[in-house]
Amino acid sequence: MDADILELKNVSVNFETHEGLFSAVKNISLSVKRNQSIGIIGESGCGKSTLSFSIMRYLAHNAILEGSIIFKGEDLSTKSEKELESYRGNRLAMVFQNPYSSLNPALTIGFQLDEVGIKHQRLTKSRARRASIKALKMMNIGDAEGIVLRYPHQVSGGIQQRICIAMAILCRPDLMILDEPTTALDVTTEAVILDTINELREKLKMSLIYISHDMGVINKVAEHIVVMYNGEIVEKGPKHTIFDSPKHPYTRALINCMPRKGVVKEESRLNTIKGYVRQRGAFEEGCPFAPRCEKKSATCEKMYGLKAVGVDHLAACERAYATDVSQSNKITGNRAYHFNKTNIETRELLNIKNLHKIYPGKRKTYALNGVDLKVDSRSVVGVVGESGCGKTTLGNLIVGLYKPTDGTILFDNTDISKVWKKRSFKTLKDIQLIFQNPGRSLNPSKSVQQIIGRPMKSLNGIKSSKERRTLILELLKKVDLGSEYLNKKSSQLSGGEQQRVAIARALSINPELIVCDEPTSALDVSVQAAVLNLLNDLQVETNIAYLFISHDLNVINYISDYVIVLYGGKVCEYGKKSEIMSKPSHPYTSALLSAVSEVDPKKQKKVIKLGKKLNDPAKKPKGCPFAGRCHKQVGNICVTKYPPQHNVSETHFYNCHIPLN
Amino acid sequence: MSYILFQLKRNPLAILGICILILWIIIAIVGPSLVPFSYTEMDSMNQLVPMGTDGHVLGTDNLGRDILARIVYGSRSILSVALLTSILSTVLGVIIGFSAGYFKTIIDTIFLRAMDIIMSIPPLVLSLVVLGILGDSTIFSLTLIVSVAFIPATAKVARGVLLTEKNQEYVMSARIRGENHLYIMFIEILPNTMGSIIVEATARFAYSIMMVASLGFLGVGMQPPTPDWGMMVIENKPVISQAPWAVLFPALAIASLVIAVSIFSDFISKVLINGR
Repeated sequence: MDADILELKNVSVNFETHEGLFSAVKNISLSVKRNQSIGIIGESGCGKSTLSFSIMRYLAHNAILEGSIIFKGEDLSTKSEKELESYRGNRLAMVFQNPYSSLNPALTIGFQLDEVGIKHQRLTKSRARRASIKALKMMNIGDAEGIVLRYPHQVSGGIQQRICIAMAILCRPDLMILDEPTTALDVTTEAVILDTINELREKLKMSLIYISHDMGVINKVAEHIVVMYNGEIVEKGPKHTIFDSPKHPYTRALINCMPRKGVVKEESRLNTIKGYVRQRGAFEEGCPFAPRCEKKSATCEKMYGLKAVGVDHLAACERAYATDVSQSNKITGNRAYHFNKTNIETRELLNIKNLHKIYPGKRKTYALNGVDLKVDSRSVVGVVGESGCGKTTLGNLIVGLYKPTDGTILFDNTDISKVWKKRSFKTLKDIQLIFQNPGRSLNPSKSVQQIIGRPMKSLNGIKSSKERRTLILELLKKVDLGSEYLNKKSSQLSGGEQQRVAIARALSINPELIVCDEPTSALDVSVQAAVLNLLNDLQVETNIAYLFISHDLNVINYISDYVIVLYGGKVCEYGKKSEIMSKPSHPYTSALLSAVSEVDPKKQKKVIKLGKKLNDPAKKPKGCPFAGRCHKQVGNICVTKYPPQHNVSETHFYNCHIPLN
Repeated sequence: MSYILFQLKRNPLAILGICILILWIIIAIVGPSLVPFSYTEMDSMNQLVPMGTDGHVLGTDNLGRDILARIVYGSRSILSVALLTSILSTVLGVIIGFSAGYFKTIIDTIFLRAMDIIMSIPPLVLSLVVLGILGDSTIFSLTLIVSVAFIPATAKVARGVLLTEKNQEYVMSARIRGENHLYIMFIEILPNTMGSIIVEATARFAYSIMMVASLGFLGVGMQPPTPDWGMMVIENKPVISQAPWAVLFPALAIASLVIAVSIFSDFISKVLINGR
């Protein structure tokens, strides 16, 4: 019964490219027992996905696979394509990160699900359909009979991912591999899917390999954790052991650099890992983490090997060190003084009144339906909400990418509710935007110097290129980059460096307000921590106000002074960070907070389950936008009448029919 | 650079194509000074003689003109017309296509309809009619007319690549710092679309060789006595049974050049587009 379902023996994957042979996965040995759940964690570029693809044998043509992959006693690495067909999707199933691109948009959901049963189990059409509906019901999809007749684009992302998982479990596989299945989804949806996966595993008794970069998610679904770095396993062991006494410095750093609940900028800086994941040549020796490790010694560069450090616990590093956020990283008294905002005079910088945005078209989209917001100078306002709540639209209207349909935006008491073309240079200069995807926001054909210098020249009127160069060097230093970056192009930079350049560009013209639109969402956790620290330091130093848009409550909790929660283009709740986090008054805020996954396995909390009736953004909203999903709905009044505002304190209010207390 | 060598190693055909192309370019530049005959000189003693007679390496045609000399001189005109055409049609196509795609208003609609109209007439027929009306063909008029015939295709390609780049975040960031449209179009966006545009230009280069040769064959190419490969084929067609070489060699010249340019164009697209 306890037999190994899957056993990997010395699996290596190398890629042959024009620059030489690169190692993606190196010498991995791993076994998965029946009904065991294994979580593989690591940053991007650590070979997690390549490992899972090599189990399925979905590798690119220039990949060279070595070692053996033994699945139920048979070596998959020697099987032909034809023989593999009977394993893929049948005994071995895989769920990918992006549900939208794993489903065929031209076929109905039912057809795609039935295919699996018809192909692998030789079912008749009607029996296959019954099996499909049963699988969908197992995934807690309401109206399964209706869903099978629809096309993938007619259902939401969360449902799409559940359909993908349903497809994977149709043949009752022995092993299911999930490759970041919830990364593209909202926190509330993620929480529900993770619960369903756990239920499923109990029901079907299958083994699971769950790949993620998020410690919190892994914590929820896995019993056993494998930490990968640069294609090698650096540590593996039972979940509690890994969380309680991580041995390898990388594991330690990975757990520590996530902004967790309770970690706020006033108290501590985030732990970071310097550097980034490099591409590794096939013949490099030694510990892959050595170049980034603070505690490396001379042997690290030559020696490498997993050693048993406990029961079932293997780590590739002997120097067990378990210190939490080190004292040197705590913010000193000097810094804390700056955070004491009462001593510094602030003025109202941005005042948004009743802002509406309707995107025109055959189907109108009501993106913002009356948002009021005030941003003081020198403060950080966090905007939080799920995708589609209008937070990005809000940012875009403030920077002037689009014109508001209705309402006013006052900036320094001048009306700027118009598009960029009609704004004055002064306004354009004073409001800057940092985008989510740093790679796309920097022109790939321009050098760093050109990218940062251009706004200086056009908006600040610094004509002499010498003067600009010295200023650029200063700025680069501020964002921890050296002069060697001046002539690099964005494709030569890592994600974190790109975002630093983007930050330097925004700072280059001394703005008053920076709109940060999910600036860390596309980055790895270690890099995210570094960028958050940087943004924080810069804010303390320059007193620029930030409007910080993010879907990640932990990040918002870390960086902001005030928080505004949006849903369906309306404000749900607004208040000081401490007020929102400690006593959330709007049902949506509490639901969001409950859905955030904890990094500590000892803390378990109940996720508030939300209803599934999402409001249609194409209809003019009436009543509370959250009514359809609210777990505390008080009656019909929620649907028909927009709720009144309740003030909890001077700075804290929420919009709900449920009165205070 | 290392990527180019890597791709070359994997595509031996590309090496062949590039060698043929370079050979033709060298012939066009220095060839005329090396051949012993002029392209107009009529050797009345040696009409339609086969290869190797009296120094005529590739024989002579029905008027006793040296075929090698005519092919070598002809390569100049055909290569220069093709080069100018691909440059002109690409530049104009990019300007038109970019403006249409960028502004996306009534201009775009008018552009698309106008291009549809031009494209509905086969380019060969269009050129044939216009050249027929104009009368004498010169390098200038040939270039102009072939370019006009090619503009719709290049403009559509340019518009397409612009549309994919236009919504990138770096363009947004240029907008909100108040850059003007011309700056955004040609300084921000253009460098990032150069790969596709260069590939399109080299493909146009191959097409225009075909087109110029076809126009010569149909009798509206370069005016005699300027040698024109297409015209050489049609002139010697009546005597094909007595002197097949007079038709074969110009035809081979056209074919080798077009194939070489096509292979080159494929290679360029591998390096510039797939390599990114």
